[in-house]
Amino acid sequence: MGEQIKDDAALSLMHEMGINDAAIERRKKIVALEPADVTRIVAIGELVRPRVEQYAATFFDHLATLEEARPLLANRTLADKAKQLKIAHLAALVSGDYGPKYVEERLELGLVYARAGLDPRVFLGAFHHLLRNIGTSVMQAFERKPREGFDNFMSLKKVAFFDIGLIVDVLVFERERVIRQQQEAIRELSTPVLQIRDRLLLIPIIGVIDTHRARLITESLLKAIRGNRARVVVMDVTGVATIDSRVANHIMQTVAAARLMGAFVVVTGISSEVAQSLVALGLELSKINTVGDLQGGLEEAERMLGLQVVRANGAATSPIAMR
Amino acid sequence: MPVPILKQGDILIASIQSALSDRELVELRDSFSDQIGRFRSRGVVVDVTALDVLDSFATRTLRGIAHTARLRGATAVVVGIQPEVAFAMVQLGLSLEGVETALDLEEGMALLNGAGTADDDRAR
Amino acid sequence: MTIVPGELHVPIEGEADIVTARQKGRELAADIGFSSTEQTIVALAISEIARNIVSYAQCGEITFARVDDGVRRGLLVVARDRGPGIPDIDLAMRDGYSTARSLGIGLPGAKRVMDEFDIQSEPDQGTTVTMKKWLP
Repeated sequence: MGEQIKDDAALSLMHEMGINDAAIERRKKIVALEPADVTRIVAIGELVRPRVEQYAATFFDHLATLEEARPLLANRTLADKAKQLKIAHLAALVSGDYGPKYVEERLELGLVYARAGLDPRVFLGAFHHLLRNIGTSVMQAFERKPREGFDNFMSLKKVAFFDIGLIVDVLVFERERVIRQQQEAIRELSTPVLQIRDRLLLIPIIGVIDTHRARLITESLLKAIRGNRARVVVMDVTGVATIDSRVANHIMQTVAAARLMGAFVVVTGISSEVAQSLVALGLELSKINTVGDLQGGLEEAERMLGLQVVRANGAATSPIAMR
Repeated sequence: MPVPILKQGDILIASIQSALSDRELVELRDSFSDQIGRFRSRGVVVDVTALDVLDSFATRTLRGIAHTARLRGATAVVVGIQPEVAFAMVQLGLSLEGVETALDLEEGMALLNGAGTADDDRAR
Repeated sequence: MTIVPGELHVPIEGEADIVTARQKGRELAADIGFSSTEQTIVALAISEIARNIVSYAQCGEITFARVDDGVRRGLLVVARDRGPGIPDIDLAMRDGYSTARSLGIGLPGAKRVMDEFDIQSEPDQGTTVTMKKWLP
């Protein structure tokens, strides 16, 4: 079930979003939440607590009037979960404790909204509706002391805005997660690692290699060596636009790292002109095994693995000797 | 806790399970030196799979082990360097020049058992 | 640039502390959000700097802190000692010199892999190495 949210999802999200103790304090600072506010909020706790289910209902009633909220309300599982969390939220809102546990619970609710594809605008509209209800109750209770009532409600609003900050950040983060996943997929597609034979990998590289991409290529290559138990890797750079000293250095580092994992890298596709200019720049290309073209490189790799490819022509064929 | 060195025929195997202090690394090197001679081993495998970092001292010690092994007519193979560790070492400029390396214990043993390949001049 | 409160101090008094320093550094790097590969690099740089302290100054301390320059988050590492100091920093920072004198790969290696690197040293007054790595 796609909508099932794991128990520790909120905690991992907190970690992913970098919301640690310091970040929580920062958020409180930003809304200017102070001990005096907390005192005032706790004081109106008795007003809010008995009616949390009622207030929660106003939140969802408002959502029901909005077309955009349909995905959340139509999904029974998510809607029930959201209602349950909302009630808990309102009780916690006036508890006076807004530490990591409180934040984790907010993130959990935020995740439910994100799963339902709830838009920040819609959430804000419903939340405002809810706050207005609470505000009305507070002002009614403090009819004789309106200034105090106002101050108490304004303190509560600070925590409400603290909450809004968290929920909106979750919605944005989750939306960006999809984008990040797509970017990752594109990156993987752009550097395929192909297993040609047992122990032999081919990595064709096309395009521009900047430092970031070079690092990704090296990481993929090294992980593939481990995963495929490769002994030889043919890295073809025929399709690389520019091979300057920076790129050459990346290549040499990759070769050295692969060697530490017991694998040899054959670099193919460096033309003799490029090779000469790199040597002129002082690069010790002799440290890497380069072969002009891909075919030659593959043959070299097979030779290194002790393989011999023979045409099947009915005549006696040599056995393929594998290390 | 010193690192246990196991004997498998004429090959010694040590599997490092956790970060070793400098002193423990030196002890390991000395143990190898002693045991290679005692058992006339022809091969030594040092498995560093569990290590999440190999710094300059560890690298130097591994080179030292290989050197000692060579002096006594044995070959040392370091196995199990993880991708991140290999990458970090190369970035920092640490080298295991003069030391054979292999992916894991199985590959290391295959290397020592000299399953011949067509390519004998795989010079570094 | 703000140093986010919550610095971590690791005294470096013996070679056992080298492991402690790099493990603590790695944990903090992980918490900040650095990838596994970057954590390893950071741990390695810390190990080398800590090793330098033990080898040449006998004791010192390494301080870790999160930093935030408004746009990026990162890790700050400051290694201080009251050792003999480095007489010629330029020379020490040259690759070949360090290796030949068995100073580990220490300084030049660490400089290569960290985003920012600064070293202050006065003869007989000790050395302070400041390094930073930012999340990409």
